[in-house]
Amino acid sequence: MSKLQIITKGILKENPTFVLVLGMCPTLGVTSSAINGMGMGVATMAVLIMSNMVISLIKNLIPDKVRIPAFIVVIASFVTIIEMLMQAYVPSLYAALGVFIPLIVVNCVILGRAEAFASKNGVFDSALDGIGIGLGFTLSLTVIGAVREVLGAGSIFGYTFAEGVMPLLFILAPGGFFVLGYLMVLFNKIAKR
Amino acid sequence: MKSSLKNMVLVLFTITAISALLVALVQNMTKEAIENANIQAKNIAKFKVLNTSEDEAVVTSDTTRLIGDFAITVSTVKRLADDTTIGYAVEAPSITKSGYADRITLMVGFAEEDGKCMVQGVEVLSQKETPGLGANMTKAGNSLERSIVGKDASMVEFSVSKEGGSFDALTGSTISSRAYANAIETAYAGYLWATHRLDTSEEAVEDAPSGASMTYDINELETEKGEGDHE
Repeated sequence: MSKLQIITKGILKENPTFVLVLGMCPTLGVTSSAINGMGMGVATMAVLIMSNMVISLIKNLIPDKVRIPAFIVVIASFVTIIEMLMQAYVPSLYAALGVFIPLIVVNCVILGRAEAFASKNGVFDSALDGIGIGLGFTLSLTVIGAVREVLGAGSIFGYTFAEGVMPLLFILAPGGFFVLGYLMVLFNKIAKR
Repeated sequence: MKSSLKNMVLVLFTITAISALLVALVQNMTKEAIENANIQAKNIAKFKVLNTSEDEAVVTSDTTRLIGDFAITVSTVKRLADDTTIGYAVEAPSITKSGYADRITLMVGFAEEDGKCMVQGVEVLSQKETPGLGANMTKAGNSLERSIVGKDASMVEFSVSKEGGSFDALTGSTISSRAYANAIETAYAGYLWATHRLDTSEEAVEDAPSGASMTYDINELETEKGEGDHE
């Protein structure tokens, strides 16, 4: 697999949201607007790249049977450290992305990639995988968020064009399931061609 | 790597120990910086709610009043040029009404104009409401902010419009909106207290006429969480 393919497969063939169906909880939770989806995606990508690299570095030191708990501990402490550093030294970034960070600790995408890719590949390839999957996650979440925002709030990226007339349902949880389901069908139909 | 009881125990223990150590180290290292960042954010909010900035104004005094476990802080903001009082920035939590997830804390700017107490601006200091719904209270120009900024606080009814109040609730977020109105009411009480227009000693509260515009009673602090409709 070429280096470029490692990146592109995360966007299409192994799209974490629409194909791998990983990390559904934060996906449904935060995609009530396009900008929220994008914020979650970017924060996840940053953590994913670094956690993939760390896991890839220590993969040979961890006995197979305890690899999952070991990964969880590594990722959770790692995310907690990032959160504290961000809050202390870049408060403006923390104000924008801070709410998503605790959600990332328990995000299946991170653990899924640690298990499926980083524990079997080198550091550089693992970082590329993080970029690819991260981009795929960001794009998917932004699209879901944009659709829900347009249908539910009548706005896009905070720019309002129809206030108070759209069905609020799409901002609430059930609307999240509807939109996710239909987008998944659409994505897989297009991606199969 | 092949697993044996010995290496599993050893590796897991080492990883958890190193992780715990690192987290503790970073927490210690960042504690002060995080506190400073929070104080900094509050300071900026103090000027912002009075439509001024650090270059033009200065906070001359902070007074804090504790009501139960809650603190209301009133800061006097003065103009640098001529030392006149621009107004008061009041930091107040929603005491009697929680939001959907947690209490919310607001910074509210009050200034006197022609003997009226005008609300100059509102900044949300902390909230954990649902993104896309209650969390919209942090957006500039939302319906809650529009309902209160530029109004005379003594004329405001501190509840949402469907309960006869002055606040147009955020769409789908009645509970968050109630908490917001409550935090503003708390801030207003703090302002009145700081400017000595509200005697909150026990006798005064008992003597107060029941029809007074202060519906806020500090002796009856109950936590209440809304129910029924979403947020």
